[in-house]
Amino acid sequence: MAQVTIRTATQDQPSGKALTGEKPPRRPLRGSDIIIYAFLIIFTISSLGPLFYTAISSFKTPGAVLAFPPSLLPSPWVWSNFQQIISNSLFLRWILNAFIYAGAALVLNTLFSAMAGYAIARMNFPGKEFIFTLTLAVMMIPLAVTLIPKFLVMDNLGLLNTYFALILPAMAQPFTVFLMVQFMKVLPKELEESAMIDGATRWRTFWSIILPLVKPALTAAAIVSFQAAWNDFMWPLVVLGTQNMYTLPLGLFFYKSANYTQYNLLIAASMFNTIPILILFFIFQRYFIEGATAAAVKG
Amino acid sequence: MATQPASPSVASAPPLTSEGRRRLRRQLNNKPKARPGETLAAYLFMLPYLIVLFVFIVFVSLYGIGLSLFQLDIGFTGPVFVGLRNYQILFNQLSDPALSDFWTSMGNIIEFVVVIVIGQTALALFLAVILQNTLFAKGVFRTIFYIPALTSSVATSLIFLWFYNQNGVINYLLSLIGIHGPDWLDNTTFALPAIMILNIWTTAAAFMIYFLAALQDIPKELIEAAKLDGANRFQAFWNITVPLLRPAIFFVVALGTIGGFQMFDQAKFMTNGGPVNATLTPMLVIYNDAFQNAHFGLAAAESVILFIIIMIVTVIQRRMIDPGINKA
Repeated sequence: MAQVTIRTATQDQPSGKALTGEKPPRRPLRGSDIIIYAFLIIFTISSLGPLFYTAISSFKTPGAVLAFPPSLLPSPWVWSNFQQIISNSLFLRWILNAFIYAGAALVLNTLFSAMAGYAIARMNFPGKEFIFTLTLAVMMIPLAVTLIPKFLVMDNLGLLNTYFALILPAMAQPFTVFLMVQFMKVLPKELEESAMIDGATRWRTFWSIILPLVKPALTAAAIVSFQAAWNDFMWPLVVLGTQNMYTLPLGLFFYKSANYTQYNLLIAASMFNTIPILILFFIFQRYFIEGATAAAVKG
Repeated sequence: MATQPASPSVASAPPLTSEGRRRLRRQLNNKPKARPGETLAAYLFMLPYLIVLFVFIVFVSLYGIGLSLFQLDIGFTGPVFVGLRNYQILFNQLSDPALSDFWTSMGNIIEFVVVIVIGQTALALFLAVILQNTLFAKGVFRTIFYIPALTSSVATSLIFLWFYNQNGVINYLLSLIGIHGPDWLDNTTFALPAIMILNIWTTAAAFMIYFLAALQDIPKELIEAAKLDGANRFQAFWNITVPLLRPAIFFVVALGTIGGFQMFDQAKFMTNGGPVNATLTPMLVIYNDAFQNAHFGLAAAESVILFIIIMIVTVIQRRMIDPGINKA
């Protein structure tokens, strides 16, 4: 199954073209095609509809958001929901905290996973098999088991309610290490040998020869780590205590409790959580899907 | 993992110079002759990861299991070793499970997992098959279908909180076909199904990707051959494609099960377990016992039981769906 990752990595673009190219030249529409188009339309509506409608509705007045029957478009378009949210300085702090957590997770997890992946994939040392097997095995451990003791460890280290509590456990994940190993394993050995002959250090070989060759894996790892941290709710809920430290998802939870029935504010607030990920997605689409597909290989 | 031998290194075997021969032997014997410098360098490269792996994963897991044998309420008294008493307390509650938060939540989550795993697997496979048979703009539709998987559980919870309210969009749509919708999240019958629907909507999109990848690996010739033998599209799908998808189906079912059993965000966010414990989940009970009632040992025991149940279910699923991959 390991090859699956590699194949998607190197042939993703061509395979799309090949697929359409393989089809016999434009056969006539059949009954089954009509069914397929009908489903495509239904699922397009069901996939996009909720987000799209929410995004539009966040420009409605409070009354219009609660109106029954609901209107499709805002009848005056208003910015007031967003103005009210942004005027809350805590809310801006939550966004900043979320960026710090997700940004640090992205940088550290990508770098450290690449380093570990490089050692496991391309160096010989005692204990290598053990560490790789352990990496595969611990991916099966559910969060349920680690949540409480992880909290107690953070408590003992005196790190509760700090950025460290968020970032330390996220800085090198078994899954991304595994992803890196899979990508680096297949590069030809000669790469290092010629680098060594040229007198390059291990670190230089890693940094300027290997890393550029696994850019798709790096991007996929970066996205996976950013997305996981940006959307994380449970861990921040457990380790963060004061409102100024909250990340956005946690902030939204308390914002919800404070503005329980003000749906105009709640849906506008949800946009702050959704839009950064959507922007990332549209820029790095291919890698999102690759990261998700690579996850399929870990079984 | 079945097809993960060391084939790439053998395929790219170097010419048989003395250096090459030595390297080949090293690979074949699989007994790396590590140089001390290389070992040190390798461990330095892995250092940050090893800290996370051993402290925040391995140690912490063992700690969690150990903790379940203690009575611990940080801040009040020191930890007291109580043996299996936490487990005993929980299993004694089985005599009247309806009175026990933990077993109530277990009942809820089993219902939840059964529905969402079937729902998301079927829907994900269906989406993938539809995409596979799309003639144009396949990539665009793939992108569109993937969007629910991107939004965070918190954002979708906020959005669906609004959709599900008594006068919300969902009840409006139902009223168009003459159904008077319930107050979803405040109704003991409908609160859990409401969360199930939301969950299926987000996870099916993510799992679709795996099925797409798996579908691309199925040789077209097999399907063509079946059709030549007179099978119709549905027969070809059911008798050729589905059996070949077994590993992917197992994978999706297992991931769905593991994730489903640990559902927390939506329940915490939308209903906080209510109304009347209708959406109480084990993770919510664990969270409450640990962080609100300060019964850390009891909560640890609950998480160990949850872990064991998840493991047993996953093993059974593997036996049922894809016994072949045991050899991996």
